[in-house]
Amino acid sequence: MSTFVDEKPTQNLEPFKGVKKVPHEEYYTSGHRTCQGCESAQIMKLMAKAAGPRTIVLGSTGCMYVANTSYYATPWGVPWMHTQLGSSGSSALGAAAAFRVQMRKGVMKDEPINVIAFCGDGGGADMGLGAISATMCHPDYNLLILMYDNESYANTDIQISGASPYGVNTSFSTPGKVKRIMNHRWKKNMAPLMMVGHPTVKYVGTISTSYPLQAMNNVRKALSIGGPTFIHCLNPCPKGWDFDPVLSFELGELAVNTGIWPLYEIENGKLSLYGKTKDIANHKFKRLPVRDYLLKQGRFAHFIEEDIEFFQSKIDEMWDKWLVPGIIPLQREIEAE
Amino acid sequence: MGQLFAVEVIYRGVFQKTLAKNITRGIVLAAHNEGKLGISFGRYSDAPERNGIPAKSFAIVANDEETLEAGMAQYEPKQVDVTVVLDDTLCKGAESWAWSGLQPVHRALKPGHTLIVISLDDAPALLKNIHRRKEPYKLGIVRGVTSFSGMWVYKDDHTDVRILGAIAKALPAVMSLESVEKFINEKLKNSLKVTTARNAFERFTTIGVKAGEGNPEEVVKVGLPRWEDMRCGVSIKGQGQGGPFADPVTGEVGGFRPVRNELFTKYSARTQRPVVNFATCTKCTLCWLNCPDGAFDITTAGTYDTNFEACSGCGICEEICPVKNCITMVNEDEFHDNNSQWAAFEKDKGAYLKWLEATIKKADPIKNRSHGFRYRGQYQEQVPEAMEIANKG
Repeated sequence: MSTFVDEKPTQNLEPFKGVKKVPHEEYYTSGHRTCQGCESAQIMKLMAKAAGPRTIVLGSTGCMYVANTSYYATPWGVPWMHTQLGSSGSSALGAAAAFRVQMRKGVMKDEPINVIAFCGDGGGADMGLGAISATMCHPDYNLLILMYDNESYANTDIQISGASPYGVNTSFSTPGKVKRIMNHRWKKNMAPLMMVGHPTVKYVGTISTSYPLQAMNNVRKALSIGGPTFIHCLNPCPKGWDFDPVLSFELGELAVNTGIWPLYEIENGKLSLYGKTKDIANHKFKRLPVRDYLLKQGRFAHFIEEDIEFFQSKIDEMWDKWLVPGIIPLQREIEAE
Repeated sequence: MGQLFAVEVIYRGVFQKTLAKNITRGIVLAAHNEGKLGISFGRYSDAPERNGIPAKSFAIVANDEETLEAGMAQYEPKQVDVTVVLDDTLCKGAESWAWSGLQPVHRALKPGHTLIVISLDDAPALLKNIHRRKEPYKLGIVRGVTSFSGMWVYKDDHTDVRILGAIAKALPAVMSLESVEKFINEKLKNSLKVTTARNAFERFTTIGVKAGEGNPEEVVKVGLPRWEDMRCGVSIKGQGQGGPFADPVTGEVGGFRPVRNELFTKYSARTQRPVVNFATCTKCTLCWLNCPDGAFDITTAGTYDTNFEACSGCGICEEICPVKNCITMVNEDEFHDNNSQWAAFEKDKGAYLKWLEATIKKADPIKNRSHGFRYRGQYQEQVPEAMEIANKG
């Protein structure tokens, strides 16, 4: 039976088998004015390396637009274009559709080209959510939307975004004497939202820059599988999170080891956890206390014991009570009572 | 028209933003105690400035409103009476605008006026980095540990009032010590800080720097692209793909050297740099793979050589390197060029390793470093030591 979906072939990007096999070529090189220890720049580098030369990248407004393009400050070695803050979804879909037309008309060679649109957490989890959702409903087009998440609008002055964690100090949630916790919202659960809300999407996953090989291989898988795909990457941000840049790598690991940032991929509807997250789920690794992660960051410096305990209890709930631990925040009726 | 005074404070992005703001605000409020008018403001850049990048904050003060308005009509002061440098590694130069080109730190300083630097070094060491200029000026060192803290937690180690005390001595016409003390008493409400400011005032001395004295290096000039330099669709050319690394000594070809954006280098953000021991390197790839700046060239031997035009000195490579002392971050003050370490190693391995051993000895142990928040309580631990150095003067 025909599905009437007009699929086009993708580049078949095999996973890199070990760090020694990672190609030397850089498609996002030096020449960007990002912060010292910027993990968002790191994921751009890994993403471009994983995608390879036959790729175009569209970037919505955010740090990775401003710091990578002001004047002649560009590190991009593949074609790159800016798109509006909320339009990473529509621009990716438009670019993929335009390629298809150009190829059909013979204007350009018919070959699979990777289309990647990236957005920050502000551009993706807040403003661009509608457009990304619409894009995820078009199975005919091959594209990847990568959301690099530094948990605030870090380019403009560290304001709260929908992806900011509970209680965090930002320009819009400065702790006060009367009210200590000014951001009482819980972080938006983007990857499951994309998967559960768009059942035909073939690949949704989370990555961390502290596991670079795995991150690159997941990008390669997302680009190879076909249709619209979505990846959510957590990027420690020395500027907005207020920590010594030397800790960038360690905080990425701690986010995973404390269970705050679960690593998983959902491939054709099949969920698989990977790395330390898998060990946590299988009880092979005991989650580290969230305190280890929180107290290394200036943005949580106002937390008192009570706040740390509350944060811990929410993470415990996520692992002990959720229907799919760490991922789907539903509880079975009998357990919820 | 009355007299107009301008003070600029050059600082390291978000790490010192609050400190710089506190200083320029303090100048204006202290001068206000003498009936003067003023305004403090930052140069427009990213908000807040990216960490490590050289940024500027200004205070302008005038005797009367008309003069102040005339001063404010300028985008930023073209000539300043005092330049304050909050981190001595900035003496290597600060960028003019959005990291384009490099300028001497005293570029805007009026001839004969005072450059104040916070440092543990002496004047000859600083003048190895501070560029020479045609006109003489005065150099005053406020002895102290560079004060770094982040966006949300401020390290109150009295650096702000020490600088205010020094400015009162260097430029009494803008504010007297009494006015500074009054400001601290009334606004900061901290009598200990009054003592610190007075000590800084009494101890502050300057030396004369003669015309032509200092670092002879020609500063990097980069012009900003104009609209006619752009291509169709207001686009610019991307970076090309790199090629094999040619060994600087043997001429052998191999490894990989990515293309570097020649129009945009990053080194003036650096407060420390990696020193690599190529003899103990196991070629594990971790430093190369995890460098957000893509700063490593892959040598013919398969080791990783830092490109110092691209390295911003974050220290992640040192943190993740599995071999002890293979990568060590050393204060940027110790270096006076951006040459390849691999080339030096290839040329004379024995001499390089000897140099390496001597250089990494100068590195602060990681626990003593402070380029931002590492754990809760860290600043409280660091302040007494910083205060002790300050009090010794």
